[in-house]
Amino acid sequence: MTDRSESQRRKFLGLTGKAGLSTFFAQAVGVNLGIVDVVSAQTGRRAVTPFRFAIIGDPHLYSQKDHVFDRHLEDAVAQINAMTTQPDFVLVTGDISHHGEVDQLVKGKRILSKLKAPLRAIPGEHDWYLDMGAAYRANFGAETWSFNQKGVHFIGLNSILTPDFWTEAKLTPEQRRDWFMPLNSPVPGLWGVHEKQLDWLRKDVANIAPDVPVVVFTHSPLWDYYPRWNFQVSDSVQVRDILGKFTNVMGFHGHVHHTVYNKIGNLASVGVMSTAWPWPYPPVELPYPEFQQNRADPSNTQDGLGTAYVSVDDKGGAFARYQPFADSLQPTIKNGFKV
Amino acid sequence: MTPRNKKLIKVLSVPMAALTLFAATTQVTAREPFTPAELKGMEDKLVASVQRGYDMWYGARADMANNGLACANCHPDAAATNPQTFPKFLPMFNKVVTYRSMVNWCIENPQGGKAMDVNSDDMTALEAYSFYLHRGKPIETGLVTRQTAGAEPKSARGFAGKATGIGFDK
Repeated sequence: MTDRSESQRRKFLGLTGKAGLSTFFAQAVGVNLGIVDVVSAQTGRRAVTPFRFAIIGDPHLYSQKDHVFDRHLEDAVAQINAMTTQPDFVLVTGDISHHGEVDQLVKGKRILSKLKAPLRAIPGEHDWYLDMGAAYRANFGAETWSFNQKGVHFIGLNSILTPDFWTEAKLTPEQRRDWFMPLNSPVPGLWGVHEKQLDWLRKDVANIAPDVPVVVFTHSPLWDYYPRWNFQVSDSVQVRDILGKFTNVMGFHGHVHHTVYNKIGNLASVGVMSTAWPWPYPPVELPYPEFQQNRADPSNTQDGLGTAYVSVDDKGGAFARYQPFADSLQPTIKNGFKV
Repeated sequence: MTPRNKKLIKVLSVPMAALTLFAATTQVTAREPFTPAELKGMEDKLVASVQRGYDMWYGARADMANNGLACANCHPDAAATNPQTFPKFLPMFNKVVTYRSMVNWCIENPQGGKAMDVNSDDMTALEAYSFYLHRGKPIETGLVTRQTAGAEPKSARGFAGKATGIGFDK
C-alpha cells in the first residue's frame, strides 16, 4: 500500500470512528455487563469501533546500569508515544528481562510505565524460570488473561511451559533458568501452553459468538516454525482447534525477533521484531518470504529492531505496520499489510 | 650479504620452495593411511575445539564482552555468520577481511569486549565451531547483502555440555 492510500485510509478510519460513536457507547455498556451479543442484536452485525493497539517485542533487559538494551526499550516507548493516533493499549511480547532477575523486571516496568497507553504483557521463558514467574507476576500481573475491547476479544497466554526437568535433577533455580538461555538449549525441550490453560481457553471462548474477531498473544508462534529454536508452541494444534470456530483469529507473537507471517486456517500469525537484537531466519522455507526483513547491519545497533502497531477496522479486520528503528523492511511490507 | 647474493637467493627461492613443497607432498601422499586410532585421536581433538568454541559462543570467556552479550545472542547455531563467504569485503573495515577479523570486530563492537589473538587456540575454537556447523555449505567468497538462513545442524539438539556463564552480567 502506498503512503497516499495509507493516508486516505487513516482519514477514512477517522471518519468512521466519529460516525460510530453511538455504537461505541452502546458497546461499552454491553462490554461492562458482559453481554457483547446484545450489541450485534441491535446493529444486525458485530459492532467493532476502529482502534489501534501497539506491540513491543522482547526487550531482554540486563541488570547492568545504562545497558544498550535499556535505551532501545526507551526508544520503543518514545516511538509509540509519538504516534498521533495513540493505541488503546500496548502489548509487550515477553522476555522483558534476560535473566528473570527482579531488578531487570522492575527496570522493565519502570521504562514501560512511561507509555501513555495502558500496558499488557505476556511472559517469555527468560522472565519465568528463575522463580517460576513470581517476579514477573508481581510486576506485570497474571500471565493468562482475556478482555474485550471495542468489539474485539483479546487473549494472552503463557506459551513457554515445559515439563518439569529440574526437580528430579535437583537443579537450583539458577541452573534451571540457565538451561533456557540458549535458543537451541538441549535440555528443556519443546514448550507450550499445557492443559490448564487449554481448559481456561475453552471456557473463555465458550460463550463468544464465532463472528467476534479474536486476537491471541503468545510469546512463541502458534505454528511449527522452527522447533529447534522453540519457534513453536507444542500444543498449538489444540489452541487452533479451540479457536477454530471463529471466522477471524489474529495471532501476534515475539520470541523470533524478526518479521514473519503465516496463515493456517482461520489463524493469521504475525511475528514482531525485538528491541534487543534480531534473530537470523532459521534454515526453513518461509511461507510468506515477502515478510522477511533485510539482513541487519551489525554496525548499526538499532538495525533489525522496532515496534509494531495494528489498526482494527469497523469490520474487525486488521492492518498491521512494523515501525522499524532503521530501514529494515522489504518494500513489500514497508507500508503495512492486511493481517 | 652482497646485493648480488641477495638477488641470487631471490631468484632461487621460488624453485627451492617448489622443490620443498613437492618433497613434502610426496612424503605425505606416500605415507601409510592413518590408523583408526589415529583418526579417532584427531577427530577427538577437533570435537574438543568445537566444544570449546561452543562454550565461548555462549559466553564462557568473560573478556569477550562488557555488556553480557555473547556471539549466540545474535547467532544461534552460528546462523548468519556465513564463514563460507570469507574472505570478503566488509564496509566496517573498508577492505577484504578474514572470518577471524570479523569475529574480533563483533567481540570489540556489539559485545564491547577485548579482541583475541587471531592465532590463539580460542580463536581457532570459535572458528572451528562456526565452520563445523557449516559443513557441506559451498564456499561462496563474496559480499552477502541479504539475510541468509543458518545451517541446519547435523545433530538434533546441539552439542552436549553445559555452556558456562551464558551471557551473564553478574
